[in-house]
Amino acid sequence: MKIAYKHLAKHIYPVPSLNDLSDKLFHLGHEHEILDEIFDIEFTPNRGDCLSINGLLRDLNVFYDIKFNNEKFDGQIKSYEIDFTNNAIDDCPRISFLKIEVDGDIKSYEDELNEYFKIFDINKKNFFTDVSNYIAYETGQPTHCYDSKKIKNQLCLDEINITSNFSTLLDKDIKLVGKNLVFLDDKKVINLAGIVGGESTSCSSETRSVLVECAYFNPEKIIGKCIKYGIQSDAAYKFERGVDPLCQEDVLRRFIYIVQKHANILSLELFSKTYKKYSKKLVPYDLNAINNILGSNINNNEYKIYLRSLGFTISKNTIEVPSHRSDVKTQNDLAEEVARCIGYNNINIVPLQLKKSKPLKGFERVKEEKIKGLLIDNGFNEVINSPFSEISLNNAIKIDNPIDSNKPYFRENLKVSLIENLLFNERRQQDSVKLFEISDIYTQDADGTQVKQRKLGIIASGRMGKNYQNFSKKIDQSYVSSIISRYVSNLESVEEEINRNNLNTKAKAKIYFLEINLSEFNEAILGYESESSRLKEFKEYSPISDLPKIYRDLSYSLSKNASMENLNNLITKFENKFLKEVFVFDFYENTKTNKIKIGYRFIFQSNEKTLTDEDVNQIFKPLIEESLAIEGIEIPGIK
Amino acid sequence: MSPYKDTNLPRLEKDLGSHHPINNMKDFIMELLIELGFEIVDGPEIETEKFNFDMLNIKKSHPARQMHDTFYVNNKSSLLRTHTSPVQVRGMLEKKPPIAFISGGKVFRKDDDATHLPMFHQVEGIYVDKGVSFANLKDLIFKIVHSLFGENIKLRFRPSYFPFTEPSAEVDILAKDNKWLEILGCGIVNPVVLENCDIDSNLYSGLAFGLGIERIAMLKHGVNDIREFYKSNLDFLNQFK
Repeated sequence: MKIAYKHLAKHIYPVPSLNDLSDKLFHLGHEHEILDEIFDIEFTPNRGDCLSINGLLRDLNVFYDIKFNNEKFDGQIKSYEIDFTNNAIDDCPRISFLKIEVDGDIKSYEDELNEYFKIFDINKKNFFTDVSNYIAYETGQPTHCYDSKKIKNQLCLDEINITSNFSTLLDKDIKLVGKNLVFLDDKKVINLAGIVGGESTSCSSETRSVLVECAYFNPEKIIGKCIKYGIQSDAAYKFERGVDPLCQEDVLRRFIYIVQKHANILSLELFSKTYKKYSKKLVPYDLNAINNILGSNINNNEYKIYLRSLGFTISKNTIEVPSHRSDVKTQNDLAEEVARCIGYNNINIVPLQLKKSKPLKGFERVKEEKIKGLLIDNGFNEVINSPFSEISLNNAIKIDNPIDSNKPYFRENLKVSLIENLLFNERRQQDSVKLFEISDIYTQDADGTQVKQRKLGIIASGRMGKNYQNFSKKIDQSYVSSIISRYVSNLESVEEEINRNNLNTKAKAKIYFLEINLSEFNEAILGYESESSRLKEFKEYSPISDLPKIYRDLSYSLSKNASMENLNNLITKFENKFLKEVFVFDFYENTKTNKIKIGYRFIFQSNEKTLTDEDVNQIFKPLIEESLAIEGIEIPGIK
Repeated sequence: MSPYKDTNLPRLEKDLGSHHPINNMKDFIMELLIELGFEIVDGPEIETEKFNFDMLNIKKSHPARQMHDTFYVNNKSSLLRTHTSPVQVRGMLEKKPPIAFISGGKVFRKDDDATHLPMFHQVEGIYVDKGVSFANLKDLIFKIVHSLFGENIKLRFRPSYFPFTEPSAEVDILAKDNKWLEILGCGIVNPVVLENCDIDSNLYSGLAFGLGIERIAMLKHGVNDIREFYKSNLDFLNQFK
């Protein structure tokens, strides 16, 4: 919610700076951003009482001397004999109606009303609606303005089951369905209570007789309606977080005060009714409880100062919670109030010693770590995939409200995701793809009984690896199972070959896939010593380019007097911003001819442009020349 | 003996793969907590409203219970857990205090943008014993944050709101660009939750905390778009060897 610095500051003595006020708001738990001296505050959902200038000032009273703006109309108001029936007294225990008649022109906006529209640059609607909006901003209590000339018969508040179209004053028609709390005028819906009024009874610039409704609505009847009907309503936002159940008459008197500044009031009539008595909220005064919860050591005096500054009243052994604080009910709630006053950062630290011996890791967890280690040692990358799938093979578990309506099912296997991962990497010019995923897989029987299984899926295709032993070897039928077979008794499922015909791909390398329950691994896996320990330092990631890569190979032939060291240095020092990777893919010692063959693969890629052969030739030229200058080194095919 | 002039011959590099950075981070944090004395508990990803919401004092009128945020399953008979807290409820129903549990894993919310995904990972912990206070919670949080971000990191506690803790706090760290970044939520376990789990809240109190793994991993690795973690792109994954 946006609240202007100026609107707060003018009630605070001495006037705090913007930064000081910002610090205090954070201190109290009101996270915010600041733009053009306006606080955009993210109030927590339990603090409906803060959604206004006055509400926030009540909280800031902990730190500052606050002069609340209490100017309001305090004259006599004639009682209003309205024909109103409340059939929903549990959901609306208190309600007031104020009828104001004015005549003549409305003056241009003055003082706080003028400032409100200026600071927030809000479009004006009509006088009474504008006052209503301002009052909600100032007091936190929404009011609704009907043009009283447009209301014909008996008014009624009721929660009814209804299916009908409703034209709102927001220029939006909605279709009401199911149970709704509504105001009816001669059985016709004129207002979706606490959310949005109807177009048919709304005020216009012509309105000179207004009926202002001011009520407390049960938050549970408001919540969810805006989402249901696709509307945005500031009133609903306030009601669903809880407004002050006792403020109606004060708010309406403030309403009159603002109207009075802008128009000639002819008559005022007020109807105010309590259908269910508000019962005071009392919490025992128990300082020990507070200090135990916080681990603090505050004394009675401090405690009372904090409570009083927040509007709590203390009598003997009881604390009375102010009516606007619907969130405070228990000692823990009071402890939070105290903590906010002290400042969370100022609460002591008391060392925590867990009264437990160091627990052992479970067998299953160790086993899973070992399996991961085994696969990673063999060049596999772990992936994590979304569980949402478009396929139901066997009564898959179905999401009622999927984020993507094409993928409403919980996946029944790891295969589909891993094939997608493989194809994705092939399209990115990867010629060796070895991936695995470990995940819980949830399925259900025909009768709906859910079954959870912890599964490992492995997919592999293309080269066995990048080093000179693996580079020229292709992954074959027994590659995957040969890695795990020692650790699985009676490995039944050898990897299956995935047919490429049904996949949208031009690649040819054979794809092998294996899926296995983790429970099938035996205890032998516990003895496996992994070479690839988990990452303990967290490397800075470098952004990935989506542009094509260019590969270049350089195959050297070295005679026995050639300096491998010089060649090595040359290649290690070869730097270019487009060079992503270099590795030795071929290495062979010919003992008969006394020559070494060594092949390097260079991979180039730009983050900005598609590299051409010519670009790479230019980059490569000096490297080739310098390496040929080393004695005893040749590049077959190049002089 | 090699017949050649020097022995700078290429070594056979192991073709190692990589742990997924999210699982790596999750395990790193879990290990840290195990060292402190927490015990791992596990629970299902498909949960009931009772464990995901009711037992945790998240009332029907709480915005998170709207269809908006939660994935429901099989005609609303169950749901995909929106946090790992239900696992702790299950744990508390099984064992009597003192208890120190952590649970980690996938959670689901109906969100999809550069900083939110419908599936993400959390690690949560709870400690219930006699005399557990907010001052103890602060000690634990400092230990966790220091282990993750170093002893010199600046952090602050901010009052916040969760239905299952009271008082509740969010913890921010001061990032490199001098901005405060939220990294975890925590608080004193709401006595209502303890009572729901048959623990006498007059005798026992508890502390609880939860971290979003993706957020921490994004910070630690400098990844700006959460979606990078789930593209299974080898160019990405190979950076985490």
